[in-house]
Amino acid sequence: MSLEFEPRLTRDWDDPSVATLAGYVAKGGYGALRAALEMSGADLIQVVKDSGLRGRGGAGFPTGMKWSFVPQDTGKPTYVTANYDESEPGTCNNRELAERDPHRLIEGTAIAAKAIECHLAFIYVRGEYLWQGMVMQRALEEAYAGGYLGKGIAGSDYDLEIVLHRGAGAYICGEETALLNSLEGLRGEPRLRPPFPAVEGLYASPTVINNVETLMNVPDIVARGADWFRSQGTEKSPGTKMFTISGKVERPGNYEIPMGTPFRVLLEDLGGGVLHGRALKAFTPGGSSTPLLTAASIDVSLDYESIAEAGSLLGTGAVMVMDDTDCVVEAAERMVRFYAHESCGKCTPCREGSWWATRVLGRLEDGLGRERDIPLMHDMGTNFLFRAFCALADGTAAVITSSLEHFGDEYEEHVRLGRCPLRAPDPQAGTDPDALAMAPPSEVAS
Amino acid sequence: MRGGVTLTVDGKEVTVPKGTLIIRAAEQLGIEIPRFCDHPLLEPAGACRQCYVQIEGQPKLATSCTVGVAPGMVVKTQNTDETVAQAQEANLEFLLLNHPLDCPICDRGGECPLQDQTIAYGPGDTRFIEAKRTFVKPIPLSPLVNLDRERCILCARCTRFCDEISGDRFIELFARGAGERVSIAAGEDFESPFSGNTVQICPVGALTAEPYRFVARPFDLSTVDSICPHCSAGCNVKVDVRRGEVVRQLARSDYDVNDAWLCDKGRFAFRFPDAPERLTTPLIRDRGLEPASFGEVLTQVAGRAAGARVAILTGGRLMDEDYYALSKLARTVLRTNDLDHRRSPGAGEAERYVAAQPLSVSYKDVERAKVILVAGLDAEQEIPILHLRLRKAAARGARLWVLHPRRTRLHDVAAHILTSPEEAARLLAGEGPTGNAAFDEAVGALRDAGEDAVVIAGERLAGPAGGAEEAMALAFDAGARFTYVTRRANDRGALRAGVHPRLLPGGRTSADGLDEVEAVWGPVMDREPGRDARAILQACADGDIDVLFLVGVDPLRDAPDAALALRALQNVPYTVVQSLELGSLEPFASAFLPAAAFLEKTGHVTDWEGRGQMLRPVRGAPGLSRPDWEIAAGLALACGGDLGFETLEQLHEEMARLLGPRPITLALPPREDPASASASASASEGLALVTYPLLVDEGRLSERADELKAALEPDAFVEVHPEDAAALGIADAGRARVRTEAGEAELPLRVTPHIAPGTVFVPFNQPGLAANTLLSGTFDARATLEAVAGTAAEAVGDEVSA
Repeated sequence: MSLEFEPRLTRDWDDPSVATLAGYVAKGGYGALRAALEMSGADLIQVVKDSGLRGRGGAGFPTGMKWSFVPQDTGKPTYVTANYDESEPGTCNNRELAERDPHRLIEGTAIAAKAIECHLAFIYVRGEYLWQGMVMQRALEEAYAGGYLGKGIAGSDYDLEIVLHRGAGAYICGEETALLNSLEGLRGEPRLRPPFPAVEGLYASPTVINNVETLMNVPDIVARGADWFRSQGTEKSPGTKMFTISGKVERPGNYEIPMGTPFRVLLEDLGGGVLHGRALKAFTPGGSSTPLLTAASIDVSLDYESIAEAGSLLGTGAVMVMDDTDCVVEAAERMVRFYAHESCGKCTPCREGSWWATRVLGRLEDGLGRERDIPLMHDMGTNFLFRAFCALADGTAAVITSSLEHFGDEYEEHVRLGRCPLRAPDPQAGTDPDALAMAPPSEVAS
Repeated sequence: MRGGVTLTVDGKEVTVPKGTLIIRAAEQLGIEIPRFCDHPLLEPAGACRQCYVQIEGQPKLATSCTVGVAPGMVVKTQNTDETVAQAQEANLEFLLLNHPLDCPICDRGGECPLQDQTIAYGPGDTRFIEAKRTFVKPIPLSPLVNLDRERCILCARCTRFCDEISGDRFIELFARGAGERVSIAAGEDFESPFSGNTVQICPVGALTAEPYRFVARPFDLSTVDSICPHCSAGCNVKVDVRRGEVVRQLARSDYDVNDAWLCDKGRFAFRFPDAPERLTTPLIRDRGLEPASFGEVLTQVAGRAAGARVAILTGGRLMDEDYYALSKLARTVLRTNDLDHRRSPGAGEAERYVAAQPLSVSYKDVERAKVILVAGLDAEQEIPILHLRLRKAAARGARLWVLHPRRTRLHDVAAHILTSPEEAARLLAGEGPTGNAAFDEAVGALRDAGEDAVVIAGERLAGPAGGAEEAMALAFDAGARFTYVTRRANDRGALRAGVHPRLLPGGRTSADGLDEVEAVWGPVMDREPGRDARAILQACADGDIDVLFLVGVDPLRDAPDAALALRALQNVPYTVVQSLELGSLEPFASAFLPAAAFLEKTGHVTDWEGRGQMLRPVRGAPGLSRPDWEIAAGLALACGGDLGFETLEQLHEEMARLLGPRPITLALPPREDPASASASASASEGLALVTYPLLVDEGRLSERADELKAALEPDAFVEVHPEDAAALGIADAGRARVRTEAGEAELPLRVTPHIAPGTVFVPFNQPGLAANTLLSGTFDARATLEAVAGTAAEAVGDEVSA
């Protein structure tokens, strides 16, 4: 099977000049913004609604609808924030998109701002994206110098400032309300909803927060129309989607594919198949926080609905591939450890539960598991799924429950053998679970 | 209920106001949902995840502390839903993973929400075999508050209290995930006068109070409800007594008064009644002061008082009953109007108004006000719980102005108009624009808000410059509510009972309502106003008084003229001291009558609102000590008179006849054109000296509260504006000499823009200075400042806290 389609987000990736204002404009860049400035906010929202564009950050919420929730008569300013806090393990497609084509992000952000009468927008870039932040900053400076930002943008009488804000290295700040807290200089912790950001977001004012890829789809939708956008993808998931494929794969990287493309095409045609031709064991379709799928799902279509039907989520489009030499318990431990490290600490199940789960999984992998640890892990998955303050812990639960569901036998084998079946026996390994004093996160009091 | 929302919880229907949280609605039905982070006075957090409920039609469990009710909502709690019960148990399992389970040595053990709710809703056993997280502990956040991070369940009640209620954001959550912890900036102390509240609302033993650390178990305590004896806030407290000794004081929730809060002085200064100097036997001076019977002492006192020139001075912390008895004793038996509880010249008609009008402004009025002018009051230092209410009003959107010589801790929520007392009086008296834009804006806002506006006048307007009557006239002119607030616990009760040279009970005078008084009391002999406190001391010093009664007061410490007080005591022939102890009065006392402390009697105190609240005895009065009103009644009998009551019931019946609210006609000062108002102050020499007591000082009621003093008591200092410092050439000095007509003192100098130019402040009674040595009878004076040679200022920012 081969894949033939017209690339959209990646169409200019072969031309390094698009990273500059001149190169971007030469390719027709900022034309959509000029058109948008002639349109009313309501019309802009309508065209985005008609396009069926859905948020690429993971939840897949319809973008036009999100914009339409912003009330216009509050007497408060409105804000747009581009969520460039791309932190999900295995995901780096926002990064390459905005790195290669930064002006498209600026243009998309500016159009979104126009749609909701916003005059101050933010691009929130994750702290670790040092180079990407510099690229973005340079592009913003070019856009200001070129008259696309600031007073009277693109020759209109519309004013717009865009401020680049660097995060400080917290996964949770990709959660939109935690991002707002971080932008305001507060602790990166999610906020209670309602009020939703569309009503009371940044500085208690109406705010739209969109993922980078979502916003980068907007200029073409405005320039070429909703029907054009719908000409690729599926009815309910129109357009193309960026996927990052990594792990045990021959050609890891970022690929743009139409929504609804079978996973097999991404893995085999684009990714070159499983590394060294080994057998596919499992994969995450949308990042480490989405439930694992197994080789049985190799023909699943990559769109919101089909993946949900298969029991997982499209998430951020981060496909991590595991082959038959990979230990699921080890992988789960590694992923859960990430979520324990990134838990903001605000709520109990996430803070304490992921900390505990990391330790129990570590014990299982090290051969110090007990039979009752398996029902315990089942319980833990149940006990933080949908019970924490925000969705972070749901991701933790997804790893635990999906790995147990598909690979329960492998867990049991760890207990039975007293070691990881996929690792050579370690003669040094202890056998007494109680001897395993977990090193506490070293805390030195102030 | 109008606008009510009806829902069912566990099959029971309840109607609650719109916006009510599910957890509160369940409480109304008597259904308990376990919780840790939820607190009715804090914003919802949803952090601990303990209060799960199932809302019909929703796929996920909800936290009942964050979700508001909706019409027709069907809620199931742990009582009726298996999943909810399971989720709550699982959450407790999570909470206990890293909890040290050191309940047997924890101060909270036995009254711990975590312990109690684990027993009620938690797992019976643990599945956790790993090593627990450890922290260095305990960490003293201040001399009062210790932090044990291992016990902490990160509910954020303490940090939210500091953020939302006190505004003193000393502590914060640091780090994240399992490493998250409460912390404080390096080198900082938890220097908030409300820090103890965080200990009380901590749902585990993570925050403990040093004075109670390892002192008692809750089941060894007997607890009695009482009223805090310190300031006029009227806070409801629980007094915990172990073997007759007070070991702890906690806030008792009363949403009409102190919400659920207490200041640190109210919480931690509880050891004064147990001072080793306490005297519990009457004493009489023969060769020296010797024990005697009550009868013997009263007979001698009565003999000396018969036909003599008698005066009575009291403190501000007796009970309403005591004040009433003393007021009646003076007027009907001792035939004098020379009695006073005050220390300053007073506030004239403003005093008469509040004496006649209890609850002219209440806590709730403050909370709901839209515009508030606070004049002459440093609320945080003088009435801390009123300060919290002012902050609450601000948080609810009220606009606040503070007219005061120094910036107060309301500075982040109120516009401050810093002026000298004279200028404050001039502004308040002004009709029309005063030339002070901020003040004129405040007056405009007061007028616009009308009934929703409140003017609060404090004791700084009761000096010779005045201002209280003018503030009252301004308030009424603007249609606003008015109150005059006094600092000590029962100043207001004394005012109402007429322990005052001019006022009879209920704000009556010999010109207004005398007939009503005489209908109850019989003839009032002396119809001329008597001497005020200062005049009484002067008369004593001049030999014009024969017998001086000092009831719960020590003029040497309290009177704003130490030298005059000393001369008075040296020259009055016979001094009766009625108190808990003699202290510095010992050389001057002719007779001593042992009084019962507030812990030891039944009675009422009247807070700044005019609200009378009842106290019950926490323990019996020691030795022969008796309530002041009983002593007064006994003295009346010894004098051949009769106050007409022997029991509290009789006394209360009589008080009820005279102390209800009554309409009065006020003689208000005329509104002046500010342009023609005399600027008398500018003509005087030197700077205007302002002094008032800070919250924690050398006062008698803070005695033995060592941890409190270590945490919150600053040493004496002198504060002056940079302009004045520059003009006087002392800007770079480390210490300054303050000189007044009465005396001088050498003090550390604080130069701060947060004081009115032309004004100098010294605290009234901090270590290093008893400011009454600088005063000549009132709390203000003129002062000059000069640098103390050889001292240099330390580099400090402009933040100077009191």
